[in-house]
Amino acid sequence: MYPQPLQELIDLFSALPETERREMLINMAETAPLHAPSEGETFDLEDVRKDEECTDTVGVFLTAGPEGTVSYKISLGPQVQTLTRAMTSILCQGLNGSSAAGILEVPADFVPKIVGAELVRLRSQTVYYVLTRMKSAAKVYLNRLRTASLDS
Amino acid sequence: MSEKFASYAFPDALVSTAWLAENLETPGIRIVESNEDVLLYDTGHIPGAVHIDWRRDLNDQTVRDYIGTAGFADLCRRYGITPETTVIFYGDKSNWWSCYALWVFHLFGHTNCKIVDGGRAKWVAEARPLTREVPKLEATSYPEPPQRLDHGIRAYFAETLAHMKAGLPMVDVRSPGEFSGEVTHMPEYPQEGVLRGGHIPGAHSMPWAKAANPDGTFRPADELRALYAETLDLKKGDDIIAYCRIGERSSHTWFVLKYLLGYEKVRNYDGSWTEWGNMVRSPIERS
Repeated sequence: MYPQPLQELIDLFSALPETERREMLINMAETAPLHAPSEGETFDLEDVRKDEECTDTVGVFLTAGPEGTVSYKISLGPQVQTLTRAMTSILCQGLNGSSAAGILEVPADFVPKIVGAELVRLRSQTVYYVLTRMKSAAKVYLNRLRTASLDS
Repeated sequence: MSEKFASYAFPDALVSTAWLAENLETPGIRIVESNEDVLLYDTGHIPGAVHIDWRRDLNDQTVRDYIGTAGFADLCRRYGITPETTVIFYGDKSNWWSCYALWVFHLFGHTNCKIVDGGRAKWVAEARPLTREVPKLEATSYPEPPQRLDHGIRAYFAETLAHMKAGLPMVDVRSPGEFSGEVTHMPEYPQEGVLRGGHIPGAHSMPWAKAANPDGTFRPADELRALYAETLDLKKGDDIIAYCRIGERSSHTWFVLKYLLGYEKVRNYDGSWTEWGNMVRSPIERS
């Protein structure tokens, strides 16, 4: 149902008591810069924008791998909230190396399992935001591939 | 006391980050962080500060309302607060949620509260210390308040409707787009279930942000007076209601009007636009 690395993260978070879950989320948020693009790095698809659904600019950078797989780098503006930062690390770890088609099929119902009921609040809907952006990039990438194959 | 603070109606309603840095261990105070970012406190906070989360700690978990008197007493006991404790609030988003928490404390008669001018952002910008250590506090025996004072500083829908019909002053503190009805949520935030856009007929638009400097501090008294007394023509004896979308931004304006400018009768309509904009047949104006 979920890519294996993501399933492992879901299992890990699901087993944690609330205080340790929070601690793990903060650790994840602190490692979000590790998933930012490096200076001069190039990508197959770049989507940097500021949407109404998020408090700052988020950049999604996709690199195509072998056999339809993709990997992501994500840049986050300074105002992006802690949970969104945490989800960025979780999703990069959990989805990188999956197929673009498979990423489109990943259901969003794992987010509460990771974040926990205590933290799923009205104002934390942006925890879904990065997943939506990653799926959007995967969709654009697949559409480009389809268009290219039709043209050739 | 700084010249800026001295110009406010109640200078003691604020403390500076410098004052707080020198008084972290002063007996009789409790520092409270209240944020929009639910994990921000956990990432590091002012030494000795406790965390009050608006949803978990201040809202009833079933009914759309605040906690009751027993819940408030329990909250204070847990955080080592007594009726004599000076509670000093700070937080993110230019102190929206700290003003909200302060307003809720006032609902229970705990008025010995202050706001840190500039909030968390100013403390961090000044490279002052943060810690992840959660203070271990001895529980107090805070007595249960006899009642929640819902009628002095809080306005319900029916009261706001009567206020509107009487043509009394109302301040809509949301963004211009929300006021005009162009959008139903503030920029950068998800739509949270408001069915209609616009504002309460007769309300004046004065976005909360006009009362704050870019660094999150409150603007000086003369600049605030220019906004509210001159632009909106609010007079000291006016009966004023402020509202936003769920009551947090209007708590900021409530604090400005009541404690920085000294307006005597100011109420926060916490149902705000998420109640008014969804209520069947409630009148709405667009502009």
